[in-house]
Amino acid sequence: MANVTQSKVTQKPLELILARNLMSSLSTPAFLVDEGGVLVFYNEAAGILLGKRFEELGTVPQREWGALFGPFDGDGEAIPYEELPLVSAVRDGRPAHAEFTVRSADGAEHRVEASAFPILTAHGSRGALAMLWPSDGSLGGRGANGAGPA
Amino acid sequence: MKVKLWGTRGSIPSPGEDTVRYGGNTSCVGVTLSDGSLLALDAGSGIRNLGLALDDEPRRLHILLTHLHLDHIQGLVFFAPAFWPQTELVIWGPASPEASLRDRIARYISAPLSPVEVRELPCDVSFRHCPEAEWEIGPARIRAASVTHRGPTLGYRIDDAGSSLAYIPDHEPALGADLGALPEEWISGFELAREADLLIHDGQYSDEEYPDHLGWGHSALGDTLRFAHRTSARRTVLFHHDPTHSDERLDRLGAEARQRWVELGGEEGAVTVGAEGGELELPVKTPQIAEATAAR
Repeated sequence: MANVTQSKVTQKPLELILARNLMSSLSTPAFLVDEGGVLVFYNEAAGILLGKRFEELGTVPQREWGALFGPFDGDGEAIPYEELPLVSAVRDGRPAHAEFTVRSADGAEHRVEASAFPILTAHGSRGALAMLWPSDGSLGGRGANGAGPA
Repeated sequence: MKVKLWGTRGSIPSPGEDTVRYGGNTSCVGVTLSDGSLLALDAGSGIRNLGLALDDEPRRLHILLTHLHLDHIQGLVFFAPAFWPQTELVIWGPASPEASLRDRIARYISAPLSPVEVRELPCDVSFRHCPEAEWEIGPARIRAASVTHRGPTLGYRIDDAGSSLAYIPDHEPALGADLGALPEEWISGFELAREADLLIHDGQYSDEEYPDHLGWGHSALGDTLRFAHRTSARRTVLFHHDPTHSDERLDRLGAEARQRWVELGGEEGAVTVGAEGGELELPVKTPQIAEATAAR
C-alpha cells in the first residue's frame, strides 16, 4: 500500500484539477488561483519566468503572489494587487485583460499581455486562471507564425 | 454493507457466448446497507435484474447515478419497482447548468425513445441533485464528487457501519496527469477512494488499448492500479469492461492486474475483475451495528 498522508489535505475541485492538467501541457506561463485568491499552481513556463518551480515554492497566499513577478506599468509604477487581471477575475467573476511589464528571475523585463477568466460551476466559483502572452515574443511557446505562443 | 454486481459492462450491453462469465449487462451495483435498505449505483441494463429480484413490498429505493450516459440509465424504464405505485423512488445525480436532472433523464424516458414518460411512471419518483456536502441515506453517509470523465460525472463514497465503498465506474484520472507524481489533493477522485475497503473502478482498457482512447473518459489498467495504490484502497474491483473484451480477454487482464498489483507492493488477491452476479460483503466495524445485524 502507498503511504497516504495522515493529515488529510482538502481535495481540490475537479475544475481546478483539470485546469492544472491543461496548464501543465502549455508552453505559455499560466497561473491558477482558488476561490479564495490563493495561488495554488503555476506551470513550468511560469516557473522559468519566476526562476523557481512551483514544486519548490508551493502555494502562495492572496496578496503575496503578485509580488513574485513585480508587475509594473509603462511608467515603471507597480500595479496594485487589486488591479491584476487574475484578481479581478476571481473577485468579480468575469474575464479581465491587461498589458504590463514583468521582471523575470534573471532581471530581464518582459512586456506581457495577461488574460484571466473565472472558473465558475453550478456550485459557484472555483477560482480563476490567467495566461501571460509575451508581447515581445520572448517568453514561452511559439505560435503558428513563430511570433508568439499558440 | 452487502454489494452485488448486477452489471459490470461499459458502453453497451454485450450479451453472447463470449461474455457469459463476466456478464454483458451495463453498470449497476446493488448495495444493501446495515439496516437492510437498498441503494442502486447506476441504472444500466443490470438494474433490470436487480428489480426482478425484489418483492413488491412498499419501499423507498435510492438510485445514485454517476452520470447520464446511456449505459448508466438505460435500465430505468425496465426497472420493475418503478412501475409499482407502492414504490418511492429517489434518483440522485449530477447537476448541470443546462437542465435539471429530471429534464435530462426525461429526454430518455420519453417518445420516441421510450413508450412511457416520466410523468406516467406509477411510482412516486423524485429527482435530486447531489449536494457538495456529505449527506445521509438511512445509516449510511454518502459523498459525491465530480471526477474526470466526459460531461458532468460523479463518483460516490458510501460509509456504513465503519466500512467504506468507493464507486467510480467511469474515470480517467491520468488524463494529462502523472498519477505517480501528483500530490494526492490534485488527483481526481482521491478523497472518494482514500483507504476505501472496496473500490469499484473503471478498468476499461489495457495499457496497449489506451492510447487510441485518450480523453474518452476511461482508464488504462495501469492507471487504475496506480490510482488504487495511491489511495490505499484495500480491495479493488475492475469494472466497466470494454464491450469487446471476451471472458478470456478479461481472464488475461485479471491475471496481469494481479501480478502488477503485487509488483506495486499490494496485497495478493486484493484486485479482481468484476463479474456480473458477484457478491461482496464489507465487514461491520461498529460493534452496536454488528449486534443488530447479527440479530436480524
